[in-house]
Amino acid sequence: MAHNFKSDIAVDWCPGCGDFGILTSITQALTELNLDPKNVIATSGIGCSGKTPHYLNIAGVHTLHGRSIPFATGIKLSNPNLKVIVPGGDGDMLGIGAGHFVAEGRRNSGLTIMIFDNEVYGLTKGQAAPTMALGEKTKSLARANVFTKVNPITLALTAGYSFVARGFSFDMKQLKEIIKTAILHEGSSVIDILQPCPTYNNINTMEWYRQRVYKLDDDKTWDPVITPGNEAQAAEKFQKAYEKGSEWGDRIPTGIFYDNRTIPSFHKRLNEFVPSYYSNPPATQVVTGSDGYTPIDVEATFPEKIIH
Amino acid sequence: MDLSLTIGGPQGGGIDTSSNMINRAFAEAGYNVFGVREYHSNIKGRHSYNHLRVKEERPRSLKYPVDILVALDPDTIFEHLEDIGEGTKIIYDKSFETSDLAQARLIMRDTARRIKDALDSASVPNTIKGALELAKKKGGIPMAIPFSEVVTKAISEGPASRYFNTLGSAITLSIAGLDQKFAEEAIKQVFSSKPKAVEENVKVVAGAYDYAKENGFAGKQLKVLPKIKRLLLTGNDGAAMGKLMGGLRFQTYYPITPASDESSIMEEHEHLKYVKTEQNKLREGGVVVVQTEDEISAVTMAQGAALTGSRSSTATSGPGFSLMAEGISFAGMDEVPIVITLYQRGGPSTGLPTRNGQSDLLFAMNTGHGEFPRMVISSGDVEECVYDSMRALNYAHRYQLPVIHLIDKNLANTTDLVPDIDLKKVKVNQAVRPTTTRLSFKRYNLDTESGISEMGYFGNDVFWMTGDEHDEIGHVTEDPMVRDMQMRKRFRKLETALNEIPVEEMAQLLGEKNADVTFVTWGSQKGPILDVIDDLKEEGIKANLLYIKMFEPFPEEFVKQVLGKAKLVINVESNMLAQAAKVIKLNTGIDIQNNILKYNGRHMTEDEILKAAKEIISGKGKNLVEVLENGA
Repeated sequence: MAHNFKSDIAVDWCPGCGDFGILTSITQALTELNLDPKNVIATSGIGCSGKTPHYLNIAGVHTLHGRSIPFATGIKLSNPNLKVIVPGGDGDMLGIGAGHFVAEGRRNSGLTIMIFDNEVYGLTKGQAAPTMALGEKTKSLARANVFTKVNPITLALTAGYSFVARGFSFDMKQLKEIIKTAILHEGSSVIDILQPCPTYNNINTMEWYRQRVYKLDDDKTWDPVITPGNEAQAAEKFQKAYEKGSEWGDRIPTGIFYDNRTIPSFHKRLNEFVPSYYSNPPATQVVTGSDGYTPIDVEATFPEKIIH
Repeated sequence: MDLSLTIGGPQGGGIDTSSNMINRAFAEAGYNVFGVREYHSNIKGRHSYNHLRVKEERPRSLKYPVDILVALDPDTIFEHLEDIGEGTKIIYDKSFETSDLAQARLIMRDTARRIKDALDSASVPNTIKGALELAKKKGGIPMAIPFSEVVTKAISEGPASRYFNTLGSAITLSIAGLDQKFAEEAIKQVFSSKPKAVEENVKVVAGAYDYAKENGFAGKQLKVLPKIKRLLLTGNDGAAMGKLMGGLRFQTYYPITPASDESSIMEEHEHLKYVKTEQNKLREGGVVVVQTEDEISAVTMAQGAALTGSRSSTATSGPGFSLMAEGISFAGMDEVPIVITLYQRGGPSTGLPTRNGQSDLLFAMNTGHGEFPRMVISSGDVEECVYDSMRALNYAHRYQLPVIHLIDKNLANTTDLVPDIDLKKVKVNQAVRPTTTRLSFKRYNLDTESGISEMGYFGNDVFWMTGDEHDEIGHVTEDPMVRDMQMRKRFRKLETALNEIPVEEMAQLLGEKNADVTFVTWGSQKGPILDVIDDLKEEGIKANLLYIKMFEPFPEEFVKQVLGKAKLVINVESNMLAQAAKVIKLNTGIDIQNNILKYNGRHMTEDEILKAAKEIISGKGKNLVEVLENGA
């Protein structure tokens, strides 16, 4: 029987929460990809999105606020055979963890990052998140938001992510497909997931989004993919992705903005220096000799330190 | 022979190369060397120096005054007036003599003021000439060498100043009476990959030896000692080597002094070589070293790697360690085996970023919110850095917790000639992975007497982890009973550790069992105090040392037993608050009254500890706390 990727833990998100759609999309994607549950790990941060790993029947780490990316990177670099998905909040990724978010774009170590984007800090009762627009006043705010918003799509592109997409939690069919493509992507991917918070965000509601979202691939000429050998297309496709990524307001594009398969993953870069990396990564290395002592030959490893 | 010397010059002016050359030349002749590097937080120009000691037996400490002061710039003479005593030979370039203190813009202003006061009160001009007059009054012997002339005579091409460091070292070696061939051999080692540099520098060495001979500087020929295989290592080298030997395969770091050298050394040696007997049995391997975006990432990324079964660690210094606090709390809560090597420097805040300090002991013991078990260990010499780094990884994996390994800046930058590394000193245990997939694995199984639950491995087992309090498979719980049980389980691991770990890995009584004076210390004062104990013995005073290596869990019984019998106890630390004494009091109730403390950021020297100890022993000292001030 196929593995049930949904765990038996009671989900305690608010009724009507957009997170349910994301959870379902993830479990369907994992099922359809027929992944071995022991080889998929979820790492999350703090907040409502942070609970996601507990609801998935795969190994999971509910880490610290904003730190899901470095935990995930450690897992992935130590054992590149694992798939690591990173469900996180907009505050996690773009506020407290923004430095890690940018750094991971530069690393490209093969994480699937999903931003649960609802413009508010839900679990602490609705404060403004980094994706909320200037002047917006949701019902839980004492006064209108005094920050301008950060754009997850263009930030991800600028940070160097090789796969950038947007989904909508109430369009699970599309979201599931995006997640599947992202998981199969060799480098790191970012999926900005529009996810209404029914309790604290009375402006960006499900209805609000439904009226605005459209699919990039409704345009049959839309092709965000850059395959090996076609590196020359990257600059133009990046520009197009950036333009589409900047669109927000009456119309909000969803789908895959950018999918560059030619940027070497961090693993490939590591393998240049440590040629045994892929075949024998840190997680699988035997670190002791047959006598129970170190197998390292100090003299051969550190010849310049020896005085004969 | 017991030769002390200081070689100083502008940062970036090849001071390290010259010290390396001196060290290797003496090592080639069979001698033992020991030294410390002192430098400003600066790339080029400000004063830096190496304080070295050469002996037939292994030196364990440094002392003032020095026998030879090599000045590669005028600032060095100004800065090191205090190091000069009866018979100190001062090697400098004749052209320095006209240099004026007022023009020495890169000497820190407060330091320049103090130097001015010293020159003024000796009624000598504020110039190098004046400084040398003062030096002579102290018994110093200025030895002006025409640096440019000697170099130009030896080689015609390139700027002469490029070879001043080689010249200074070669003159020093010649004065010490070391045969020229050892200096040449050292040059070959130092410039191994650059044949042209070897050729040029060997010529400069010859020029320096000729000059010294012609001018009567050359010392009486030193005897050559039998040579044995040794390793010339710093504390940073030792820790890097020990970690790799101890099975470390994943290291993270964010650049910070004096910790990053450890990671750079690993990057240089990331492809591992195995001993012959294992070559056919083990698959090729290597260490992954990742420079992260900050220390928060460093400590959490290392944990991610640990969850897959890798032995992993990070290395940092005070400011970075502060950022790691929350991550360390997670490792405590979630029982993640990681090692954090904490290179202490002078704090608080940015403090003295390139200077020594031991002020992070209490912080290491209390970092992170909430109550969780951790281990805090400390190393006191370069060899300990090697073996303690291996042990730290073993402890982390055996007890599944964060291990904080304290090394001070002084030790990180100590150069020591270490006898051959013993590959069989510390065992390295292999993680045993399950052969089957374990779903809903009880990673935090409460049914454990030792407090240690079976380790789970991502890639094999499905279980959960959370910074929240959790149940046995790692899901969030706020159940009051499970909370209590998990708290007790976690802390039982420390009791287990205390029972399993041999006491000598925690604390040692060094020297005679019964003594009139018992010193207490940790970290890099170990060597100097052992030398002071020998000095006191010559004066008829019996002393020993309670040397502490583990602060958490604390070897309470052993320390109680030693201090309970001790007559006069003197605690020695490089901080202001006598932090180890506070830990001892907290754990044993014993209140140590006498302290020798230093917090000016410079290494403790044998002479100053001896002087302060004698003040205390004689009862003449006015204070219970003697504060040491040596060092430029």
